[in-house]
Amino acid sequence: MTDTNSTERPTVLVPVRVLDGDGIPDGVPELLGNAHVVVLGYHVVPDQTAPGQARLQFEDRATDRLAEFATMFEAAGATVETELVFTHEKQQTIDRQIRDHACHAVLVANATRPPERVLVAVRGTIGSSRIARVVAGLFADTDAAVTLYHLAADDESDTDAETMLGAVRDRLVDRGMDEDAIALEIGREDGPRAAIADAATSYDVVVMGESEPSLATFVFGMAADDVAEQFLGPVVVVQRDP
Amino acid sequence: MADTDVDVSTEGTNAVGDEPADEPSHVTEETTVHEEAQLERTIGLVGGLAIGIGTMIGAGIFVFPGLAAGNAGPAATLSFGIGGAIALLVALPASELATAMPRSGGGYYFISRSMGTGYGAVVGLGLWMGLVFASAFYLVGLGHYATAVLAEVGVTLSLDPVIPLALLFAVALTALSIAGTENTTKIQNVVVIVLLVILTAFLSYGSLDALGVFGRESAPGTLFSQGYFPVLQTAALVFTSYLGFAQVATVAGDIKEPSRNLPLAMVGSVLIVTVFYVVTIFVATSAFGADRLESFGETAMVEVARDFLGLPGAVAILVAGLLATFSSANASILSASRTVYALSRDALIPRRASDINLRYGTPHIALLAAGGPIAVLVATGQVELLAEVASFLHLVMYALICVALLALRRRDPDWYDPSFEMPGVPVLPATGALASAALIVFMQPASIVVGVLVMAVSYGWARYYADDVQLKGDF
Repeated sequence: MTDTNSTERPTVLVPVRVLDGDGIPDGVPELLGNAHVVVLGYHVVPDQTAPGQARLQFEDRATDRLAEFATMFEAAGATVETELVFTHEKQQTIDRQIRDHACHAVLVANATRPPERVLVAVRGTIGSSRIARVVAGLFADTDAAVTLYHLAADDESDTDAETMLGAVRDRLVDRGMDEDAIALEIGREDGPRAAIADAATSYDVVVMGESEPSLATFVFGMAADDVAEQFLGPVVVVQRDP
Repeated sequence: MADTDVDVSTEGTNAVGDEPADEPSHVTEETTVHEEAQLERTIGLVGGLAIGIGTMIGAGIFVFPGLAAGNAGPAATLSFGIGGAIALLVALPASELATAMPRSGGGYYFISRSMGTGYGAVVGLGLWMGLVFASAFYLVGLGHYATAVLAEVGVTLSLDPVIPLALLFAVALTALSIAGTENTTKIQNVVVIVLLVILTAFLSYGSLDALGVFGRESAPGTLFSQGYFPVLQTAALVFTSYLGFAQVATVAGDIKEPSRNLPLAMVGSVLIVTVFYVVTIFVATSAFGADRLESFGETAMVEVARDFLGLPGAVAILVAGLLATFSSANASILSASRTVYALSRDALIPRRASDINLRYGTPHIALLAAGGPIAVLVATGQVELLAEVASFLHLVMYALICVALLALRRRDPDWYDPSFEMPGVPVLPATGALASAALIVFMQPASIVVGVLVMAVSYGWARYYADDVQLKGDF
């Protein structure tokens, strides 16, 4: 799939609480101007309420808001699809939409200024082609400077890490990015989440891979959400190959 | 993924000019799809089983053993067996219909779409009231258990606290379901699992004891000590213990992979509770004999547990009884609220009845439409009458579910494409319909009168309010 549509826009899912949320934060439509955006308007109802019951009452208002959001993304240059879902389980709905639309990435939407400095957290070779696909798709035509960041393990030498990041840079260049706009950085601190959030203070956008489904992420929530919380800017979470 | 087209079109307007809400365009294993919006299915097999078992198990084990043994003697075991067999005969056609029409409203939805508005209204309004009666019955049972707890800790009161406590629970439960934001489905799952663990331990011990493993004499008793006829009467009375499986279908719109999970949850929950009921009555009558069991009344199981395991046994069964009757009442209130929603969606009652309040996101009017009448019925304190009327109204629906299945199989309209097909058509559904109707005959006259009255008022209401509304699918 990645190869056949590699020249097309990456598909990015933007989940929004359609009725009681704050809408689309500033700068987010511009950030995704080169993407195919799936705007997922969701409304979570308690167990006592049938989702269909919420639909009867709120569908019109939700449809109107969703149309407004779609217009914002279109105005920024994106192609747009919208989905409206009434649900008991937010995460289940988001996961299904990622599958149904074969999304390359999910955006944790926070306000941003026009993206000038993009931090891309690379964990390893696995999954890096999808990260490259998304990063090049979003930023190849822009003036944004991209920093590829790798948090090295204790037994990993700088040379190994540089080789790995260099390979990702080559992929980006293959996909039309300017080599001069790409910097490499190797971090050596404890705790990947804190380190990523720390390094991100001087950037506008973070792109990172989806964390492994483990007991830790199940209990504490997705790592990306933690990052987004500390970072306060938008986080693009690249999905594993389906 | 099997996408089922929903090709049932509704039309007409009711007395205030409302039309039935639009039907979905199709149904997938994960969602119900409308033109502009999707409805996520979020209840899995465990959740479905928990609704079925959680609704049923409160009554059969924790309220009826004393009453049933008094009426039928040790043959009460057979009464529960008969009830289980009839429930299974209805669970099969209900499963087939549910996989063809996995939408909220359950039995009401199947019957209104296959037999028309009149039958639909009688069944739908009857189901709402049936759940109200059932819930009131469970709450009175809960009152008995709470009273037994008070007695156990040595609190003595001048007046009998059963009904006041039951009323208190009715109000609390309604308030909780309106304002509660906790994850009720997950709590229900945990409650059911805890219950099944306690019961399995208790019944395993009790069965071994009844079979003489621990060298005790079990209480003697002739199987049919009260004769044959009371066995059937008792089957009619205790049928309230089997009303839960159809509640799975009232949330059919929320069930994931409905083609697989709906039949498994409905048939599975009937089979599981039948085994538990039969073993419970066997153990209880073996331990004490029918007459002494009867003298213990609604909380007879506590005394059985005390006899086996002393105070810890009694405490375990008290806790289980509180949990079980509470979860039955809670599940029934929520099902009643879903039924009100299904009726208002179809313009058979005012649309406002399913309004959601903005503060809690819950359907407060529908929940009050369940909780209000429940409180009134609880105040009557008539355990057997409440149970029988609940059974009556459900049995009418069950008989019609069987008839609906026969009609759909015969005419076989294009839109009818169930992924689960029950075996033995037409013999089994015909037997189910006849058996459901026959059980009604064995009820007390008062229960039959109240039940018929509810049906008559329902039909009158439908003629007055929604005479023009067409709900029947194309045949």
